[in-house]
Amino acid sequence: MSTAYCFDLDGTISTLEILPCIAAELGVSDEISSLTRLTMDGHIPFPESLRLRALILGQVAIERVHQTIDMVPLDPHLVSFLSEYTKDCFIITGNLDLWIAPLLDRLGCNWVSSQAIHVEGRLRVEHVLDKSQAIRQIRSAGTHSRIVAVGDGANDIPMFQEADLAVAYGGVHPPAPSAAAAASIIVHDSKTLCTLLKAL
Amino acid sequence: MGLPKCMLDIGGTVLLSRLIRDLQPLVGRIHVVVGYREELIVEHCARHHRDVVLVRNPDFRDTNTSHSLMLGSVGFHRKVLYMDGDLVVRPKSLAAFIERGKSTDLLVGVTKAKSTEAVFVEASGDAGTISRVTRFQRHPAAPWEWGNLFIGRPGLLTCGSRYVYECIEPYLPAAAQEVDLFEVDTAEDLALATEGTKAFDRGS
Repeated sequence: MSTAYCFDLDGTISTLEILPCIAAELGVSDEISSLTRLTMDGHIPFPESLRLRALILGQVAIERVHQTIDMVPLDPHLVSFLSEYTKDCFIITGNLDLWIAPLLDRLGCNWVSSQAIHVEGRLRVEHVLDKSQAIRQIRSAGTHSRIVAVGDGANDIPMFQEADLAVAYGGVHPPAPSAAAAASIIVHDSKTLCTLLKAL
Repeated sequence: MGLPKCMLDIGGTVLLSRLIRDLQPLVGRIHVVVGYREELIVEHCARHHRDVVLVRNPDFRDTNTSHSLMLGSVGFHRKVLYMDGDLVVRPKSLAAFIERGKSTDLLVGVTKAKSTEAVFVEASGDAGTISRVTRFQRHPAAPWEWGNLFIGRPGLLTCGSRYVYECIEPYLPAAAQEVDLFEVDTAEDLALATEGTKAFDRGS
């Protein structure tokens, strides 16, 4: 049985939420952290939250954003897993391609994200990723007979609902209660997660 | 008192923590199936046992233990030690059971009959020891009871809504081994288990 492993990025592969790191450039890290947490817990719809955060953080030069993201620590066990199972791994992230593409290209596996462009010096969100749609596309490609989804926030629930097995991950911070309630499995440790994924 | 039985404090340690502590040196991976008050167990494991896998059974009110254990089998393909989460087990006895289980396809855990709602076993063996179980029975009472633990392959639990011992019944007679344990089902069981734990903790 061939399995597609679909991972959220922020707070799953990365051990810090990426947007608050970018926000530090503007001195609004705490505010963006609060907004991010509220979004993860499902109190603010993800599309609206992303557009608001992009409006604020679009002021940071893209080169500086890439430098900042380059410094965000990644979980070594999960990076190793991505490296070992590259063609079967998919990063499904609501984060913006303009910001995270260099990181995702470095990780080397398949990825899909929200999309943004620069227009007249401002960042405009063109497309907010629908994670359920991303899973359906993987399924319709027919290359994998089973799909496992791993995430930590409320915006991962659509991905969980379309996957064959959903894992709420609490390695960085507790998974959002709604995400845990939508999952079949909860894991708090990345080494254990990777061992489980390999055993499935 | 509204707590899952595995979260009861027995002799100063949460029962689930005792089990995890005693199992960790002996097994490769531990899955804990959660249902009733799952948030308590999830939080406890997030705080104290981050390397266990928590498997959710949101339908716990409408399903039996066999269904929970079947869900918990996810990712296991070879023999698995299955056990209820409300057992207080003498660590050396548990280790011996696991060791014996390495050389048998199916190993049934039995214990001296003591609990209030026992499933008794008809067993055979030499000189007061148990080596095989031939039957489970609610009546009549017998010296030994089903210990609510066994070692076997995941496929054995595909029986659906029946009790675990009923899933094992088609495979009897089967190898068996005594395990020194207490099951906490009632307040009386809890009192017995608390006393028994003192002996276990002394290394008796």
